[in-house]
Amino acid sequence: MNVVLWIIFLPIILFVIGTFMLGYSRKFIARIERRYGPPIQQVFYDIFKLMNKKTNISHGWMHDIAILMLLGGTLLTMYFVPVPGFHFFAQYGDMLVIMYILLIPALGMALGVGETANPNGSIGISRALMMLAGYDIPFVLTFIGFAMINHTTSMYDLMLAQQAGGIAGWGLISQPLLGIAALIALQGMLGEKPFEVMVAPHEIATGPMTEMGGKYLGIMMIQHAIGIVVELTIYINLFLGGAVNWFEYIVKLFVLFTMLLSVNAVFGRFRTDDAVRFMWKIPLPLAIIGILFIIF
Amino acid sequence: MDEKLTQRSVWEKIAAKLSKRSLWMLHYCTGCGAIELPPTMTARFDMERFGINPMVTPRQADILLITGYLSVKTLKRVVLTYEQMQAPKYVVGFGSCTINGGMYWNSYATMKSLDRYIPVETYIAGCMPRPEAIIHSFNELIAKIDRGEANSWKDYYKNYDFYRKNQEHTFEGPIETYNDIKADAALFRI
Amino acid sequence: MSIVLNLLSIALAGVVLNVLFSKSKIVQKYVSLLIFAGLTYFSFVMYSQVGEHFDFPFQIAGQSIGFTITWLNYYFGIMITGITLLTVIFSLKYMEGKDGSTHYYTVLSLKTFGMLGVIFSSDLITFFVFWEIMSWSTFGLMSTGGKDAPKSAFKYFVFAITASMILMAGVVLSYSLFGSFDFAVIHDKIGSLSLPMTGFLLSIFIVSFSVESAVFPVHSWLPDGYSNTFTTFTAYLSGISTRIGIYGIILFLFGIFGIQTVDKLSIIGKINFRYVFGVFAALTMVVPTFTALYQHDAKKLIAWHSVGQGGYMLIGLASGSALGIAGGMFHVLNHMAYVVLIVFAIAAVEHRTGTTNLNKLGGLIKKMPVSYLALLFGIIGLAGLPPMNGFVSKWFIYRALILGGYPFLAIAAVIGTLGTILSVYKLIHNMFLGQLPERYNNVKEVGFSMQLPMWILMIVVLGLGIFPGAAMGLIAKIQVALGLTAVPYSLHGIQTASGQLNMLVVSAVFIGGIFVTWIIYLLGSRRKHVSQYNNYAAGNFLDKKVAYNFNYEFYAAMEHVIDPYRKKIIQRTEQGIAGLTDAVSEYIRRIYTGMINTYGIYVITAFIVTIIILKELI
Ligand code: SF4
Repeated sequence: MNVVLWIIFLPIILFVIGTFMLGYSRKFIARIERRYGPPIQQVFYDIFKLMNKKTNISHGWMHDIAILMLLGGTLLTMYFVPVPGFHFFAQYGDMLVIMYILLIPALGMALGVGETANPNGSIGISRALMMLAGYDIPFVLTFIGFAMINHTTSMYDLMLAQQAGGIAGWGLISQPLLGIAALIALQGMLGEKPFEVMVAPHEIATGPMTEMGGKYLGIMMIQHAIGIVVELTIYINLFLGGAVNWFEYIVKLFVLFTMLLSVNAVFGRFRTDDAVRFMWKIPLPLAIIGILFIIF
Repeated sequence: MDEKLTQRSVWEKIAAKLSKRSLWMLHYCTGCGAIELPPTMTARFDMERFGINPMVTPRQADILLITGYLSVKTLKRVVLTYEQMQAPKYVVGFGSCTINGGMYWNSYATMKSLDRYIPVETYIAGCMPRPEAIIHSFNELIAKIDRGEANSWKDYYKNYDFYRKNQEHTFEGPIETYNDIKADAALFRI
Repeated sequence: MSIVLNLLSIALAGVVLNVLFSKSKIVQKYVSLLIFAGLTYFSFVMYSQVGEHFDFPFQIAGQSIGFTITWLNYYFGIMITGITLLTVIFSLKYMEGKDGSTHYYTVLSLKTFGMLGVIFSSDLITFFVFWEIMSWSTFGLMSTGGKDAPKSAFKYFVFAITASMILMAGVVLSYSLFGSFDFAVIHDKIGSLSLPMTGFLLSIFIVSFSVESAVFPVHSWLPDGYSNTFTTFTAYLSGISTRIGIYGIILFLFGIFGIQTVDKLSIIGKINFRYVFGVFAALTMVVPTFTALYQHDAKKLIAWHSVGQGGYMLIGLASGSALGIAGGMFHVLNHMAYVVLIVFAIAAVEHRTGTTNLNKLGGLIKKMPVSYLALLFGIIGLAGLPPMNGFVSKWFIYRALILGGYPFLAIAAVIGTLGTILSVYKLIHNMFLGQLPERYNNVKEVGFSMQLPMWILMIVVLGLGIFPGAAMGLIAKIQVALGLTAVPYSLHGIQTASGQLNMLVVSAVFIGGIFVTWIIYLLGSRRKHVSQYNNYAAGNFLDKKVAYNFNYEFYAAMEHVIDPYRKKIIQRTEQGIAGLTDAVSEYIRRIYTGMINTYGIYVITAFIVTIIILKELI
């Protein structure tokens, strides 16, 4: 019964948290730019308006299915990532499953955008995939390191192992090199500046979103809200000892997100090849050194 | 205003209350007035307070902001962009050039009145209007949406023949935008 | 009569009938169809006869030779016959009106004959003979289909001959060591061999099979060879033919030498024979996969991936754990299903448009939805994303590598996967997505006989992804038969003490997520489909005259990044190999002095040395 309630309410809770976090990010950046900024619930208004649009154009059936794959894949990931009080699905799939179901939304979007027949979209996808190759390698490597120490690939077990050691047991503290490498990779994973090559409004007209409007863009924003929480949760579970209650969880989410946002607020954008090169030159060697420490 | 257009259900009233808080703007900046937009967006006036954000493509935008004069060539693009936008959509004519040709009244190359080609929701008078005026007109637009009176986009479907005739007259022939306006009108039951 | 003989004689009958009726296209087609249907039927019913043995009525060097049916060769047998049948069904329409269709069916039958012989053989002689038949018919397959085909087939020929020579040396050496050709006898006697000799013998066999299974750095014959021939042959070759090399490796590594013997071959610490093998496998995953990014031809791109995916199978085997070996063996089946599916989709497009050039195609999803779906299923499998089958076997392999303590091999696998995602998206985007060029406006979907194999394979790819247990049962049996620990599988995944994988739950949650999204989607107002020319182009008017598409140099930025590494690694390796070959050849050339006395001395020395070695060994 409990599980059923969680299954029903988890997406709603995370959606609310995610939209507030996105609203918070807009407010935060506005304040850094010395603006007043939109109200914190602004993202709700945006999503509502988009879902309420009268025309919704689509370029074909794959465009429609892509939207389903996009949010469907994110919901799938969301259920498999343990949050405080709910780790029912964690027993059916481990971190490796999560790493790869995280790519389903990206693939779904890529296919849909491809069908819109807009080169801006295709360029955006090509950049997104290149960035993926950039940040995913160091990120997975850090995870491999942790799995090797704890002899498990289950995210829930990794979280428990960290909690057993108190704050000193947190991944970021016990394996600082891996933690920092993953933090940089996370910045790329969330597509925050300086790794924002995929959207790049002034170069390629928001890339994948070029031909998306109305409810399509609305669902993409819902996905973005949930996806951002899920990705931050993965980092929290792997490196910040997870969370035992919702208060701790939300505090960790906001602290982590603020850290990434502060970097986001003051940086420009890397060129794609520079971004990939950066990912392979800084976080990747860090992760490799971290792993060498683990082995020897 | 037509009776049928102003009648609204409760849901539509609530929807209008929420939707008016989020307006994404596509700025069509070939005229000189565009220079007044950066102060409107940045720290001094900050239009994001009202949920108005610049957006890049017509698919995502709600407001089409035409800043200033339009030549025949650029007007074609405006019509195309307008038709690509997704309803409900609002056109804001910015500067006297869009109202009556402004200081280009005598020009052979620019068109005079924007609302002969696409339906315009609000105009901002001035050459060029100050950011305060822009913010004011956006607030007017928001109030209009709230009252359910911002229905000019339906006008395009209703009186398409009129707009089409003016467009063809100016462009000396039809333009192909791959948008079937008549079929859309049937879809919206207008 | 043994069922193996049934199989082989049916395949041989295929060759003979095709030669006899070389004039009648109809007979060829339907006779081949019948023959391969029969083969498939017989290979599946072989299930009840596993463990049977058949000896030829004659003997060679006092040794009885013959065939045997084990779970391992049953597994490979059904893969071979099944995929050949699908290829033939697909070819019925594909080959219509093409030159060389007589040759096509003849060589296909001969190749199947050779492969079946190889996998069912129970001794080195039979193995070697059928191996040669197989190699020659591979050469036959490759040398047809295009103007570049003979040249690239010749490249294969050089490699294959060298590999055969090495294999021959291995056969002779084992006979001199064990006095027998029989696999079972060799397996029994292997423990008594000294370690260096074991390592040497094993290396000989592994090296010769590495050529057939295109392991880096002896992979360079494959991409050209596979992509210049008929597209259906590309499917057949990369689906199953290359994997016979993997069969050889499994057989020798686990069946004949045995994992205990192999593990004794340690160099220092953790670095043992398996590890070195794993490093080559890792290079095979990474280097060809990133080479695939540069390809502009769909067939060539897939051929490079076919090399790269071989690396996953090998690295799974090299990991040595029950999970990894199961993953490696399962990946053979999975790879066969999705790669053949992908190449069929490419062949369908080629059939309708006449090209496989990725810079010329585009937007075909509107015209060929079934082929698109086939390619989509295939690439999701190839990229190894849930819920398709490729994910399951790759999951086994990753997990085996991580928990086995091989982080750098594991990361190589991940790098390979990411490279794969990049290039398969390019493949599907450039062929089916983007703008539809005006010249393809009249293209139609392919007919039923070409759709049928694609549908079957789509079901296999998805079915094995959700219910991997369907194949894992057989693999567990193979593992037990080879004296390994079997993986603890269930119908929809795997269940170990330290965690489980349940693909059914994953897929069900995914479908649930899609359903919820669909409801949200329905909340909005109706969507309307628009023309591809009704598109954002910053106010530009689009029509059929405007090429508004992005497919040329799809990953230019990535190429910038990896170019330096690529130059360093690949070119230096190639130069190194070329230099080494040069040096060796130069040295060998000096042997031929042209004076009769020196040759005489050579002969005598060789004779003495041989006698000494043989005395030492036996
Ligand atoms: S109204 Fe004045 S400022 Fe605006 S475009 Fe016309 S001339 Fe320029």
